[in-house]
Amino acid sequence: MFHRQSSLRHSSIIMVFFALLFLSSQPKAISQDSSPGLDFFSGVNFSFRDMNFYTQYEYLLQVTPGFKWNMGHHWQLTGQAIIPVINRYGDDYKYVQVNALNISKELRIKSLYLKATAGVFSEKRYGLDLKAFLPLCDWFALEGRAGYVGVVVINPVWWYGSMNTFVWTAGGDIYLQQWNTQFRGIIGKYLFRDFGFEVEAMRHFNHTTVSIYGQWNDIQGFDAGFRFVVALPPYHRTHRKVNFRPASNYRMSYAIMYHHVTNDFYRTDPEENERDGWFSRDLLHWGSHTMQPDFIITEKTKKNETPE
Amino acid sequence: MKHLSNIVALFLLWLLPQVGKAQQYTGISGLVHIPSAEMNHEGDAFIGAHFLNKAMMPDTGFIYEGKKYNTFDYYVALTPFSWLEMSYVCTERIYRKDAQGNIVNWSKDRYASVKIRPLKEGKYCPAVAIGGNDILTTSFYTDQADVQLYFQNWYIAATKHFEFSGNELGLTLVYRHYFRHYNAKWNGLVGGVSFRPAFFPQARLMAEYTGNDFLLGLDMLLWQHLRLQASVKDFKYVNAGVCLQFNLLGKRYSY
Repeated sequence: MFHRQSSLRHSSIIMVFFALLFLSSQPKAISQDSSPGLDFFSGVNFSFRDMNFYTQYEYLLQVTPGFKWNMGHHWQLTGQAIIPVINRYGDDYKYVQVNALNISKELRIKSLYLKATAGVFSEKRYGLDLKAFLPLCDWFALEGRAGYVGVVVINPVWWYGSMNTFVWTAGGDIYLQQWNTQFRGIIGKYLFRDFGFEVEAMRHFNHTTVSIYGQWNDIQGFDAGFRFVVALPPYHRTHRKVNFRPASNYRMSYAIMYHHVTNDFYRTDPEENERDGWFSRDLLHWGSHTMQPDFIITEKTKKNETPE
Repeated sequence: MKHLSNIVALFLLWLLPQVGKAQQYTGISGLVHIPSAEMNHEGDAFIGAHFLNKAMMPDTGFIYEGKKYNTFDYYVALTPFSWLEMSYVCTERIYRKDAQGNIVNWSKDRYASVKIRPLKEGKYCPAVAIGGNDILTTSFYTDQADVQLYFQNWYIAATKHFEFSGNELGLTLVYRHYFRHYNAKWNGLVGGVSFRPAFFPQARLMAEYTGNDFLLGLDMLLWQHLRLQASVKDFKYVNAGVCLQFNLLGKRYSY
């Protein structure tokens, strides 16, 4: 009986997901085109931790090459690998891993913004993900996301488990435009089946966002820390059909405690961050998207053409 | 009696024809060992390290085999708004030495600092700020809470600047309270003066009385991003630090 209920739930979630993808393919739902093109990019992950008295800092340096194929109409195929370069974290981190390989679609239905993604995500997860954002006014919006995922390991052995974990978060955002300051509060069910909440206060600067946060979950309790996201130069870029560029941002999150369960959620986009949010800037004009853009992108023109 | 000597010392300092922005070892603006009501510019971010003479350290927590030792700290700090400063500081502690006396392992003490300025400096009235160091602990629920928070203090500070011939004189008066008995020597009314010369406004001379000792200091901002500070306590014990400074709003300041 339990197995039948699980199968029904499994298939119904997949049906709803693909119905949304079909709905998203209707032209009337598309608010604005994004420029089609293929981007190859790479950044670095630098992590450090202080967990024992005999080695003050253990550290990990990884290179994160990836690609994004914007197919137009806010369809995107993306992939990213994580390659360890310097590893003092132990054997769990010595393998090359796939951090993303998925297809996504953003759409707008009236004032509701949706993003559906299917494929491999970060945190060694695969499955389906749906994000929703509903601005109610210039300064207040509701947000939510839900995922139905399983574990996938690609290296050193190919292995995947069944999709059996339902995760979600829901909450609200307050954005004070005069001070470029954002407050975010969410509750949710996270990857380790922990239930918790998180509050964050962000101050957006020209190319940098700095935030402090506090969080709690029912497995390991309270934690807090700070984060920063820096948009990486060059800030003036030329858009071609094929582009090679550095990662759009460097993100770092610091926690004062070292809990193994820390309100973890996967990321569907390898360049996802708190500064930009989940949606493309040309689709959603709210929050930090009302600030000057980090990147001024000009279209590549042929020699005998004049730019508009 | 002690308060009387503090007041006399402050009065003497105010009479000196010498000589306020960074209490640099915490990343928060101030003089050397005392805070001030000055604020860094909105958007200023700092990352730095500071050598701390043992004479600057609390009498508990930074002792190995019965002796205090010199150490250093490192920090990140941010001024998200013109009225708010925050920093996060790690101070290194010796954890283990080998048989030859070489330091084998370090551990660290971490603390957060915050300063809020409710009253901006006016033509006649001084700026007033309140703040604290080591204001949080992760050990509230353990016995450790009683022995940690080595740097915990709260303060209220007033600072007024005067300009003459392009020079700037800053006067700071602070009432500070440390919570740990071993830091009580730095409690009470403390203060200092700063002087920024017209011919080189990137530099600042400082003299301060901390409640227990005198410090003289010099700091300067070079190439708009490199901040240096050196100080001497009681003409014997030297402290020095370096930090990188950026303005995240993209503004440029010479000091």
